[in-house]
Amino acid sequence: MPPVHRRAAAVKESKIRIDGFKFYYKKRMVLKEINGELEERAITTIIGPSGVGKTTLLMVLNRLYESIPDCRVKGRVEMKLNGRYVDIHKLPITVLRKRVGMVFQVPNPLPMSIYKNVAFPLKLSNVKDKIIIEERVKEALKDAFLWDEVKDRLNDSALELSGGQQQRLCIARAMIMRPEVLLLDEPTSSLDMEAALKITRLLVDLKKKCTLVVVSHYADLTRRISDHVLTLKDGYLHTNSKMMAAPEENNMTDDIE
Amino acid sequence: MKPFIEKCAEKGFLFSAILSASITILILSFMIFFSFPIFKGGDIAAFFTLGWNPYEGKFGILPMMAGTGIIASLALFIATPFGIGCSALISVFSKGSSGRFLRKVVEFMTGIPTVIYGFVAIFLLVPFIREIFEKGTGMCVLSASIMLALLILPTIVLFLSDAFNSVPRSYIDAADSLGATPAQKLVYVIIPYAWKGIISGLVLAAGRAVGDTLIALMIAGNALQIPTGLDDAARTLTSHIALIIASDYESPEFKSIFLCGLILFTFTTLIVLIMRSLGYFKILGKR
Repeated sequence: MPPVHRRAAAVKESKIRIDGFKFYYKKRMVLKEINGELEERAITTIIGPSGVGKTTLLMVLNRLYESIPDCRVKGRVEMKLNGRYVDIHKLPITVLRKRVGMVFQVPNPLPMSIYKNVAFPLKLSNVKDKIIIEERVKEALKDAFLWDEVKDRLNDSALELSGGQQQRLCIARAMIMRPEVLLLDEPTSSLDMEAALKITRLLVDLKKKCTLVVVSHYADLTRRISDHVLTLKDGYLHTNSKMMAAPEENNMTDDIE
Repeated sequence: MKPFIEKCAEKGFLFSAILSASITILILSFMIFFSFPIFKGGDIAAFFTLGWNPYEGKFGILPMMAGTGIIASLALFIATPFGIGCSALISVFSKGSSGRFLRKVVEFMTGIPTVIYGFVAIFLLVPFIREIFEKGTGMCVLSASIMLALLILPTIVLFLSDAFNSVPRSYIDAADSLGATPAQKLVYVIIPYAWKGIISGLVLAAGRAVGDTLIALMIAGNALQIPTGLDDAARTLTSHIALIIASDYESPEFKSIFLCGLILFTFTTLIVLIMRSLGYFKILGKR
């Protein structure tokens, strides 16, 4: 009999509630029974073996899975918006994705300048005021600890940046819409140790602004900064028996610097 | 040391490449060689005049050049937006089974013989155009351009849909995750990235529009005049060649068709060069 966890983690105030969620790809049941709550303004890390469906679960939270042909879902995913829980499948997809940003495993800047990349979501939202765009780009790049490195070359191609810088650019691009939830799919796995440390430090900082859901490998750095660690195994989401508490801010900063 | 089979394959491929390139050069040389008597005669300017009347010794092919240019440009102008729309539908808006079905239909269209398009046009389009303009036979620039647009549409659609599909998945994911609508994704991500493929598709389609004979021959009216309106009849260089070659093979009239061939060759080369340079500048501008 498979384990069914109605509450995957003890959370203070949940931002996302998942109830009896199932995901099928063709005839295969990838996610068998997902139940759980993800805490607001906290870092929740989902770990598990390769191919278990961690990325799929992340893609459920912003409905990116809908671009995958031959898949179907059952169950309910709710997100707290303006103080009440809303079924994400009832929200217009563009609205949902502007509130739930996503950063991928491999950095995916668009083939345009650094400035245009970060400003791209504003363009999609028809923001035309150049002063507002400039301010928001600067704010997002500062949020992503990238401003100092690129402020003198904003018109250079984003593809010329290093891997770590590209990943922080993608985070800045996701943050420019001031999302309430940021999904990160193994954000440090394709980076070297130094770049990975920068991203990890950045995530701790971003926690003040939004809810972070991170998919990660077992030995990844992000586990050390997580408020909650959930394990996805055999299509079920388990609460880790030993909850990993967030280290003290100062200790953690010392640790990764 | 390369194995014998690899060496043979290498030579075979080299031979095929040289043969393909040589054929193009040979065709050009052939055209120049047969047009040479006209150049030698020194009255080359006489060919670029309006009058075509072999009985009076007038061999002006300017009306045919204009006819070709106008009909092909108009066909491309009509087909391009439809081509972009249709390929966007196949590759962006309905990627599932409906998209696949639509692509199969377009692939099927490439196999329909040109003469069938001509028949359809004569019995359906031409009477319709005749009623709209309320004068003439309906065999005019507009009829030929619409039908030619339909003929080149599959080329554009298949090329563009391949170009759209070649956009890296990571760019599409980035746009999707940022909440782009399919239309925004098309305009801001797919078209700018697939620009080179779009240009290649349009070059091929333009080449086909300039080079097609039967549609213009059947429904453009074949009048020896520079068309001044959409309802005017016109003759293209290709239909002119077909009409002359069917009835003659010794006169100066016949020799002039080699000049027509040379001009057609130059036309298509120019189209390729212009389109390529447009694509090149667009790519430079992106940096």
